[in-house]
Amino acid sequence: MLSEGAEEILEALWVKIEEQGNKPIELAANRDNPAIEELIRLGLIRVDRDHIYLLEKGRSQALGCVRRHRLAERLMVDILDVKKKNINEVSCKFEHLLHKGLEDNVCTLLGHPKVCPHGKPIPRGKCCLGKKYKIPLKFVASLGELDAGDKGVIAYLQSKDKNQMQKLISIGALPGISITLLQKFPSYVFQIGQSQFAIDRELAESIYVRLIK
Amino acid sequence: MKKIAITGSPNVGKSVLFNGLTHTYNAVVSNYPGTTVEVTSGKVRIGSYEFEIVDTPGMYSLYPITEEEKVARSILLDRSVCLILHVIDAKNLERMLGLTMQLQEAGLNVILVLNIMDEARKLGISIDIDALEKELGIPVAATVSTTGEGLDSLRGKIEDYVRKIS
Amino acid sequence: MLEKFPKKIGYEDPLEIRLSELEALLLSDYRISKRALSILLLQEDREMMEMVKGREKENSPRIFEIIAAAQQHYHQPLSYIISQCRQREASRIAAKVMSFEPQRTATFKERLSKIMMNPVIGAPILLAVLYYGLYKFVGGFGAGILVDFLENKVFDGYVNPFMIRLVDSVIPFKLLRELLTGQYGIVTMGIRYAVGIILPIVATFFFAFAVVEDTGYLPRLAMLIDRLFKKIGLSGRAVIPLVLGFGCSTMATMVTRTLPSKRERIIATLLLALAVPCSAQMGVILALLGDKPMGLVVWLGIIMAVFLFVGFLAAKIMPGELPSFYMEIPPLRFPQLSNVLRKTASRLKWYFLEIFPLFILASIFIWIGQITRLFYFSVRILEYPARWIGLPKESAVAFLFGFFRRDYGAAGLYDLKKVGLLTGNQLVVACITLTLFLPCIAQLLMNIKERGMRMGAAISVFVLFFSFSIGYVVNIILTLANVHL
Repeated sequence: MLSEGAEEILEALWVKIEEQGNKPIELAANRDNPAIEELIRLGLIRVDRDHIYLLEKGRSQALGCVRRHRLAERLMVDILDVKKKNINEVSCKFEHLLHKGLEDNVCTLLGHPKVCPHGKPIPRGKCCLGKKYKIPLKFVASLGELDAGDKGVIAYLQSKDKNQMQKLISIGALPGISITLLQKFPSYVFQIGQSQFAIDRELAESIYVRLIK
Repeated sequence: MKKIAITGSPNVGKSVLFNGLTHTYNAVVSNYPGTTVEVTSGKVRIGSYEFEIVDTPGMYSLYPITEEEKVARSILLDRSVCLILHVIDAKNLERMLGLTMQLQEAGLNVILVLNIMDEARKLGISIDIDALEKELGIPVAATVSTTGEGLDSLRGKIEDYVRKIS
Repeated sequence: MLEKFPKKIGYEDPLEIRLSELEALLLSDYRISKRALSILLLQEDREMMEMVKGREKENSPRIFEIIAAAQQHYHQPLSYIISQCRQREASRIAAKVMSFEPQRTATFKERLSKIMMNPVIGAPILLAVLYYGLYKFVGGFGAGILVDFLENKVFDGYVNPFMIRLVDSVIPFKLLRELLTGQYGIVTMGIRYAVGIILPIVATFFFAFAVVEDTGYLPRLAMLIDRLFKKIGLSGRAVIPLVLGFGCSTMATMVTRTLPSKRERIIATLLLALAVPCSAQMGVILALLGDKPMGLVVWLGIIMAVFLFVGFLAAKIMPGELPSFYMEIPPLRFPQLSNVLRKTASRLKWYFLEIFPLFILASIFIWIGQITRLFYFSVRILEYPARWIGLPKESAVAFLFGFFRRDYGAAGLYDLKKVGLLTGNQLVVACITLTLFLPCIAQLLMNIKERGMRMGAAISVFVLFFSFSIGYVVNIILTLANVHL
């Protein structure tokens, strides 16, 4: 298993290369870091005079690291209610524990979230891709995945489309508000406060709910 | 003439309230959101004042996303409007107070009208009007616009408020 | 107790910093507070941004920099962050002043609401509403009994003979007599159609519609039909203007304003112009085809197919964002008769103020057209498309009337049928073409008013060609299949 330091580097590389589009990364201060040695030895990165390159084998490892970090953040915010300013610190420690299997369980537990609390995409895992299987332990899920009769509190809204989100905001479906799913076919009908609303599947999948048993 | 605008989310009984206050039947009332697409107005005498009351299409927030909401907002922001009656469904106080706060934030004169009180009571909801007035710093009236309950008290509050601000 | 300056909602620190920066840069005098304006700016309110751009010549670059910086800071839309801050304050106040003792089991109304939103039970409920509300009440009672009474008994029996005698004895000029009591006269045709045929049909429709809408059934229907409507580029919300279109398409076109996107408004306007017959027209068509159930089925089938097909095509062709559906479902309420009656009366008043002058105007136009022979000329031109779709040339008159009002045109066919000029097939083809035909003048004007000159005109031209094309195709198919309806 990789050391914490090596995972941090992979994560940083992935963010820089995949999300910000910088090609080679300056080696700079990392030159004498033992984690670099470790990564080179495992064939995950390549280093020339002053740049670091992510190799194909390293790419998938890096993707996993980013996924675990952002899932950890989600877990902290949605379930463990960690205050916003402490998220990063706690998540950085926690992500390294989320290995092999545990990661997919957490992902399922959180309803296969698509973004971290900062709005950055969480790389999909194999648990998100297969046929949606339900595990009894379900805490956060999008309204689209709930069953009629499920009750909960809105955890967050997530939609690629700003207008979609604005619609939910305007009807008052905001984090912290209690919600009950009444019906899911042919449209989703839910109750917030004393009002009922009907929405389509797309909008329903934008509302993530923390379930209450 | 002073103008009073009635605003609030769709389907909270703005048009019924309008008809109740103006003793006319100009505003079309239905049990579905978005009945009022044109602006209706009527004249009314409250105490010693003569007002023009304007009924507006429903809006959820001061940040408009539909055409009707744009129409509604432009009426509220008209300089000749001296007072806004923000009508909400008393059952959904928590969800609808946001717009009251936005109207206040905009520096407009607002009276909050808790409508459909009968349905709220039936559900077991009670609201401390005095405490709400203190929290918000504006007059609050409770009404059942379909039966006319609370309209007199609302008229009194309108008169007091207008006297205070003019 | 009243404070001139209300309590402020506190936002998160990074927002507060931007807000105070923005407030300091807004120098003009605005109707709303600078704080509220700044908050709208942060949410990218287009209208406000334009206004500020115009008024803050010097500061506006800096203002937009700050807005961009604030958006950079957060990864979610700022309206989301801002609304959450506000909601927390609202929830805090609500918790303080409100107490809630749930004291209920599911009431009858709630159970009924659930049943109405059930897709399996929903369909028969819809059919029942349509059958009793539209077919039985509007078609049977309004277009049947009431029209029969007003048209045949009151007008043909008393009003028209009386007016004709009166006019004949008072007015010596033949031309003027033609205008008032001639074949297309203001009294004998204009007022007779308006009061004798249209009034009872529209009145019964508005009454039935008022009952249905006051119960809160329509949002439930919208919720049931959303999936289907998505296929034709609309959302369930469009069900309300479309159903209202069965009453008066002109009024319904105005109500398309409640649809959230321009794309949906255009598609709905097109469908209203083309494939949604208004109640007056439908009443006359029910009367025309009432004794030909198969003809009625063919008419209904074709109109529905056109509705779905054109909607489907429009959805494929039209650019723009895909519709999304959200709608509040109000509790079911028992309609109050007083409200229903007052609403019916107020809609009828609106309808009559809008159409009555047009009926008179139509009579005058036709009168002028007759004097100048323009009318005969237009009828002559329309005889060609009428013949193409297999109709006798006399039906061209009905189509010309259709320009003035769709229902007028339908009523013109009614006259033709009475004198036995139309076969079953011709009747069906004529009804189909006329239903799809160009909207009445009032709706044409409303289309232009709501959709703009270009789009309004484009929709009308399309409808004109399409209606005759469909009539042509249906006629050929019926002939080839050797069907006699």
